[in-house]
Amino acid sequence: MKQGKLKARGRLGTGAMYHMMMLPGILFLLVFSYIPMVGVITAFQDYIPAKGMFGSEFVGLKHFIYMFKLPDIGQVVSNTLIIAIGKILLGTMMAIIFSVLLNEIRIKYVKKSVQTIVYLPHFLSWVVLASVVVNMFSLDGIVNQMLAFFGLENINFLGSNTWFQPLIIGTDVWKEFGYSSIVYLAAITSIDPGLYEAAGMDGASWWRKVWHITLPGMLPIILLMGVMSLTNILSAGFDQVYNLYNPVVYESGDILDTYVYRIGLVGRQYSFGTAVGLFKSVIGIVLLLSANQLAKKYTDRKIF
Amino acid sequence: MRTKWSMKITPLTKRLAVLSMSALMVAFLAACGGSTNPPTAEEAGKYEVTPGDPFSAYKDEITVTMGRVTTANPKLPAGDTYENNAYTRLVKDTFNAQITDQFEANGEDYSRQVSLAIASGELPDMMRVDSKDELKELVDNDLIEDLTAIYDQYATDNIKQMYDSYDGRALDNATIDGRLMGLPATSLDSAPTMVWVRQDWLDLLGIQLDADGDGAISLGEVEKTAQEFLKRDPGQTGNPVGIPFVNTLNTTDYNASAYTMLGVASTEGAFPQYWMNGEDGKIVYGSTTEETKQMLGIMADWYKNGIIDPQFGTRTFDDITALYANGQSGIAFGPWHIPDWGLISVKQMDKDAKFSAYTLEDEDGNVNVAHANPSNQFIVVRKGYEHPELAVKILNLFYDKLANDKDVATTMPEAAKYQETGVDGSTRPFNIEVNSATSLLDDYSDVVRGIKGEIGLDEVRTTESKNNIGSIKTYLSDMDTDDVTAWSKYHSRINGVGLIDKLTQENKFVWMTPAYSGTTPSMKQTWANLTKLEQESFIKIVTGSEPLDYFDTFVSNWKKQGGDQVIQEIEDEIAAKQ
Repeated sequence: MKQGKLKARGRLGTGAMYHMMMLPGILFLLVFSYIPMVGVITAFQDYIPAKGMFGSEFVGLKHFIYMFKLPDIGQVVSNTLIIAIGKILLGTMMAIIFSVLLNEIRIKYVKKSVQTIVYLPHFLSWVVLASVVVNMFSLDGIVNQMLAFFGLENINFLGSNTWFQPLIIGTDVWKEFGYSSIVYLAAITSIDPGLYEAAGMDGASWWRKVWHITLPGMLPIILLMGVMSLTNILSAGFDQVYNLYNPVVYESGDILDTYVYRIGLVGRQYSFGTAVGLFKSVIGIVLLLSANQLAKKYTDRKIF
Repeated sequence: MRTKWSMKITPLTKRLAVLSMSALMVAFLAACGGSTNPPTAEEAGKYEVTPGDPFSAYKDEITVTMGRVTTANPKLPAGDTYENNAYTRLVKDTFNAQITDQFEANGEDYSRQVSLAIASGELPDMMRVDSKDELKELVDNDLIEDLTAIYDQYATDNIKQMYDSYDGRALDNATIDGRLMGLPATSLDSAPTMVWVRQDWLDLLGIQLDADGDGAISLGEVEKTAQEFLKRDPGQTGNPVGIPFVNTLNTTDYNASAYTMLGVASTEGAFPQYWMNGEDGKIVYGSTTEETKQMLGIMADWYKNGIIDPQFGTRTFDDITALYANGQSGIAFGPWHIPDWGLISVKQMDKDAKFSAYTLEDEDGNVNVAHANPSNQFIVVRKGYEHPELAVKILNLFYDKLANDKDVATTMPEAAKYQETGVDGSTRPFNIEVNSATSLLDDYSDVVRGIKGEIGLDEVRTTESKNNIGSIKTYLSDMDTDDVTAWSKYHSRINGVGLIDKLTQENKFVWMTPAYSGTTPSMKQTWANLTKLEQESFIKIVTGSEPLDYFDTFVSNWKKQGGDQVIQEIEDEIAAKQ
């Protein structure tokens, strides 16, 4: 009797408890992630709210065709790619360089302070930071005052199609590199100190140690982070661009998200907005899967 | 243990299942029940004491649910709410109709509530919708009542006159396929867009603007003044800025024309963004005309010479207001009421600030201006509501009886008290304005005669005018007053509306009547893109990143990318009407 009871608890009790603990998570996913997926239907309809998802007229690929026919779509996609890839490449490089350099600082107090200072912008939203950036880069801002001091011509950064993309990429790197360096710092600490000692014995310079030990040690993490960020290749950052752009720089600054916001949502074209969103997700998932395969091939690590 | 638990849970789940099933059934049945045919106006009459009378009460108390547009700070007396206040009680007393609010919200929240109501199909009996698109959507989905017969039968002559003072534009806008589907708010002509110039700076620099004193100046005079302001920096900021414009550049609403280049357009006879009748009788889009090209040419010259703010395009509306408040710029394009909410911040920063209002004249000395587009607010009645005529009766009560009754204090004491103490008009059941087309100048005449003492305060038509008379008297007794409200009312009413009044009397306006103002089917998909194309092209031309001839490229792109189709649809729509 006693044994049976224990057995029951072993099979259903403990196990059931653990499974029960998964329930909220599963429910959450079901309710907030899977059920809403039905809404994807609207991308293939002329969605009219009053008629609902199952009453609206089915129009097949009309909105997708319209999307590819839009005269600006090529420019918008290329802006998106340039900005997103620029952010990924420069951001990763900055974070790696920063973490390697920071690792060399031996005074703990200085190291911690520097770290905290560079993390800080990550925690501020673009709504706040945009006004800072605008103040700095406007015609009478501090950057132009410095240019004037060195006898250079003033540049209207926020109203110049040449400078807008570099500005977006640069400010994003500035905001995020500190925070994303955390992962790389962690990777560096996991490298066996014995390797450095051995290299030191062989007379390796600091640069050699970084090149032959630190960077190879970080490689798996770098690739992993790279794979993860690829899924965001069509998300160049709505908040940032939306808060900084203006009609003067639509040509160089309009990304898919801001474009959809203006054309799809402000213009109340729900179906069109959904179609573009779906298109983005499909590209994202294709990139994620292929990058995952590549990561397995080259680093023998998979995310899933 | 386990069995006990499961025994407990089974009936519970069953009960829950039954409950939810029955809830579904009820909802389903209710949905079916909602689709009965609405009674005709005559049938509805049998509920009323005197059927067909514009103010007749109901024999038995009826209820009406509403979607209400609220305001942040309506100044309601303690205890009163949007749902239960002097105005809703007035409806109860007059018509025996009890108002309950299905939802109350303002701004974007309100539009979201309306969208939700449409999406769920659970409309309140009456509500305001804020665009022709929404009105059309409601009609397409067969969700609202046809008010044509009811309006004819119930609206008072005063109400009909007010709507008719817009030459049919007001009612036309609410009419779809020949049926009046909502009660429109009116949007009166508040033309023209003006040029507000710092008078204290003009005095300081010894510049005399408008030498002939007719209130209208030329573009050249504006240009010269701007150059002087830039050169001599009367605001002493060390950083004077040319005339700032918003990057939207244009608007079809003179009332919302602050910081736009609509004023410059008027001197060239250009009407960007308006649908006009072309010379050959065809529909023309105002932004694609030769006149608009000329205007852009002027703007591009101004930009090159620094007359326009070099950061044009990147400044927000608030940035521009700040330029005036800081004393960096002293010339502002905008409507007559801009002192009340924009230039008032200049007075707050600089006690000595004074503005004069001018308007721009063309080479022949005319002031070109377009009639306002019809307003986009409508009161709609849910399809199937048993007393649709109540909407018209409420309209009668507030926009005819309450507005025109000379004896409000005794006939409707509670409502009169509200008006005296300045309770916001948004607390009325319908948050819309219905005025005659001439009300702007009628009110002005009241104010002027009130100040001169030609009429007593009890003869002044609106409470707002009464209050304005007080403020303006304060300003006239002390022009250096710290009372910014007195300053702003003087500027907006006496300088602003005063100028409109003067020009109207001198017959200086040359009016353009827009040919069309709705949305066509293909606009729903192409318009956002066409607007973007227009805005981008105009900015490129003004800032000189494209030459003026790029305008022709814009026009052909605009036509190709859907503009031609929209014009065709408009012409078909107009042809079908005739």
